[in-house]
Amino acid sequence: MAWLPLFTSEELPEGGMKLHSLGKREVGVFRQQGKLYAVLNYCPHAGAPICLGEIDHPITTDTPGGSTVRDFARPVVRCPWHHWEFDLQTGKALCPIAPRIKTYPVREEKGRIWIDF
Amino acid sequence: MDTYPIIDCDVHQSSPTKDQLVEYLEEPYRTEIARYGTRKIASGIRGEEGGNRRDLDASALSDPHYFVSALLDRYQHRFALLSGVTASIAGMPDPDYVNAICRALNNFYIDHWLPVDKRFHLGIKIGLQDPATAVHEIERLADVPQVSAVCFFATANRIPFGDRYYWPIYEACQRLDLPIHIHPSTGSTITNAAMTPAGNATTYLESHVCMPQFYMAQVASMILNGIFEKFPNLRVILVEGGISWMPHLLWRMNAEFKALRQQAPFLKRMPSEYVRDNIRLTTQPIEEPEKAEQLLQIFNMIDADHTVMYASDFPHWDFDEPTKLPRILGESTIRRILHDNACEFFRLPSLEAQAPANSVLQLN
Repeated sequence: MAWLPLFTSEELPEGGMKLHSLGKREVGVFRQQGKLYAVLNYCPHAGAPICLGEIDHPITTDTPGGSTVRDFARPVVRCPWHHWEFDLQTGKALCPIAPRIKTYPVREEKGRIWIDF
Repeated sequence: MDTYPIIDCDVHQSSPTKDQLVEYLEEPYRTEIARYGTRKIASGIRGEEGGNRRDLDASALSDPHYFVSALLDRYQHRFALLSGVTASIAGMPDPDYVNAICRALNNFYIDHWLPVDKRFHLGIKIGLQDPATAVHEIERLADVPQVSAVCFFATANRIPFGDRYYWPIYEACQRLDLPIHIHPSTGSTITNAAMTPAGNATTYLESHVCMPQFYMAQVASMILNGIFEKFPNLRVILVEGGISWMPHLLWRMNAEFKALRQQAPFLKRMPSEYVRDNIRLTTQPIEEPEKAEQLLQIFNMIDADHTVMYASDFPHWDFDEPTKLPRILGESTIRRILHDNACEFFRLPSLEAQAPANSVLQLN
């Protein structure tokens, strides 16, 4: 693992996603509510380009018939093919299943986006 | 494996726009649709969570050339069956309206999609609400090149498919040698007065999970009411209804027929034999058990080497790439599913027959 520079901060506006190739692999960096998330562009289910999916804020309900909330502090990416939900921060699926997306530490420094790849 | 040609039994070409559709309609529907758009039935469930794949160019989905590049060329299709999008006609109560829309859609796709690529084949729309007109529509289009199937809606009918109500349509399909392509009509399932056999589903999730139950009921209805004894050359494809329920249905039909044969005395063969000869299943959405060998067992139970065909469901959300078939099935079975079973079912020339004489067979 090493910190690699990707692209400039201006190339990634709030609410956006930008892809970057690193060798044979591709990563996507998201900027959501000022925070950055870096994800390998590969869904563990069927290999879809996960970074092309929509950002959502998941609905959770504590018990059937209970109160439903949408967690705006927790962005998830939904796979563009089969719509599975993955937490952008942890990479975990929202369903209690093992497959997860690969995430990387990411930072912004001196006008540039870096990931620990 | 990557270069083996694909026959795709379920592709959803986009509906025409309102302005495009209006050009194919006569009055009174021409003015009605121009003014109000097509009539709607909705099952009141949040189906938008499904819809299309989100990585596709939504603005391009109305263009058949986009389907050529994003599907046919990308996956090396030899044949793609276009089954369209059906919400505006499945289960609609006015047969004259339905007939007009079906005719307009069929003409639109023949004019605008089939000429774009010879690999496009059309499943024509008919109104099950009016069998006599449906027969006329089948007869009108049966000889059009690249018309290769007749579309039925699995989940928006009150009369099960084994009923004699459908005999004129089956007679025409058998006579004109067109298979029947049976597909869900989820958005209008409520016209059945229930979205599952137990009653109304509360969510699209529940309705979609329970969809195979319609197929179980329809297959039992067709077999046990002797449709394939009456029409022995009729071919039927079950699309998007799943596969894993079929062994259960075969066992149960056979076991109970042994005791209750007098209630289907016209059957000359065991129920499962009619399924093997006249019915085909499609792969999408492929079931995903924890252990791949369990799927292999299911495939062996239903003789998948002959009865299962590939479908992508492009551009929908539960689309399956050809590579989604688990490797445990083995290369021979996978090739039969991706191409050979459908090649035989649609009566296409075999790959060997297509290859020029004295040349190496190019499987790409």
